[in-house]
Amino acid sequence: MTRVAGAAGPPGPPPPDRDATEPRAPSGALHGRMLQVSRLATIGEMAAGIAHELNQPLTAIANYAQACDRLLGKPGADPRDLRTALREIAAQAVRAGEIIRRVRTLARSQPVERSAADINSVIGEILELMQTDARVHRARLLLELTDGLPQVSIDRVQIQHVILNLVRNGLEALSGSGSAGGEVRICSGRTGGDVEVAVCDNGPGVLPQELERIFDPFFSTKPSGTGLGLAISNTVVRAHGGTLAYRPNRPTGACFYFLLPHETAE
Amino acid sequence: MREPTPTVFVVDDDEAVRNSLRFLLRSVGLPTQTLASATEFLATYPPSQPGCLVLDVRMPAMSGLELQQQLNLRGATLPVIFVTGHGDIPMAVEAMQHGAFDFLQKPFRDQDLIDRIQKALAKDAKTRAALKEHDRIRRRFETLTPREREVLALMTQGKPNKVMAADLGVSQRTVEIHRARVMEKSGAASLAQLVRMVMDLAPEERTGG
Ligand SMILES: Nc1ncnc2c1ncn2[C@@H]1O[C@H](COP(=O)(O)OP(=O)(O)O)[C@@H](O)[C@H]1O
Ligand SMILES: [Mg+2]
Repeated sequence: MTRVAGAAGPPGPPPPDRDATEPRAPSGALHGRMLQVSRLATIGEMAAGIAHELNQPLTAIANYAQACDRLLGKPGADPRDLRTALREIAAQAVRAGEIIRRVRTLARSQPVERSAADINSVIGEILELMQTDARVHRARLLLELTDGLPQVSIDRVQIQHVILNLVRNGLEALSGSGSAGGEVRICSGRTGGDVEVAVCDNGPGVLPQELERIFDPFFSTKPSGTGLGLAISNTVVRAHGGTLAYRPNRPTGACFYFLLPHETAE
Repeated sequence: MREPTPTVFVVDDDEAVRNSLRFLLRSVGLPTQTLASATEFLATYPPSQPGCLVLDVRMPAMSGLELQQQLNLRGATLPVIFVTGHGDIPMAVEAMQHGAFDFLQKPFRDQDLIDRIQKALAKDAKTRAALKEHDRIRRRFETLTPREREVLALMTQGKPNKVMAADLGVSQRTVEIHRARVMEKSGAASLAQLVRMVMDLAPEERTGG
């Protein structure tokens, strides 16, 4: 095992739990049909999430506009009330636009360029970036990379996005909990025939009641979170024929890991 | 005692939707209170407060459906109007099966929502009035003595005084006195009304069990 970047840390991560949670399968008859093509199912889920999310600002806009109409119908309407409503309408229209902008980003997350890669070097390339991030969050970034892993056929940039996303989430979980001694650990290894990458932190972990929603698009417990990080990561990993899942870290914290088949069936 | 004003409770995790609903409902003069989660609602809602509930089906932590079940368990009678997104029709169907009052799809026409709210408020008022009436009757019947209860049972079977006197082994005069007491305590204006009141009570409430 090669240790890089702040290698002197507590011993390695616990072995994978068997009670790990995989992203929830889509529900409903429509999704049931789509499930046959796993990539479509994910996009279907995304679409459902996006539709739901867009519905919120649209509902607010409709409510405010209809209220304005009613207020104007009454004699002596207070212009201040109308202004409040109009400003909200504008803000909600901007919010809807923002959602659409994010969807465009999503649409771009389809695999384009796959090539054989060594996962450790894929991680190495974004190490500096992640360390800067860690410094900002006053946390330590630890690496535990296993040598001699089989090559994987991946879209490098997309997988790097996934890792960045997971690391960013770990760091955010640490700064949210506000305690010193925060650590995010990136491990590479082998599970069965697959190559595994795990990103573990010693933050508060995921609450059991939130577990089944964290992979849902737009689910976020952060005040200004997009709730798209895990959803997009999941789409990307599944498009690679792999799986992304969560297990609790020991003694505390979260552990997100993904498996990539070392020979991608095309 | 003055009744509290009926209030529309809006529970939606989306702040913008919540605020816009409050704005809309207040613009038509409906007292409205908004809450960000089902848990918050359960923690603050006084069951004696009349009104109705406008509830988002899909919320983190506790969904609208779960809140509805909690309310059912607590015996709360507040009518629930579900508000759903496009993909949530199966949830809405389930909600209706569990006694939801109505449901609406987001975004909706304001008049549709207001009409449903008005109907829900009317239903709530009716339910509460019926419950109160029931309570009033029950309390009156509680004041009957065991003997008066016996007379009541025979009265509702339509037995004439003479038969009752024989059945109970007392004089007709005594039966008449009991009879008068039953009518007086129950507040019934006629035998027909008395029978209706008795029918309204659960069996154990009739016999004073
Ligand atoms: N490492 C972690 N520790 C604890 N909770 C996490 C972690 N990673 C993700 N989560 C939970 O999953 C939610 C969704 O994450 P994500 O999809 O990346 O969206 P966002 O980061 O914008 O909130 C987060 O809001 C958080 O509640
Ligand atoms: Mg994130």
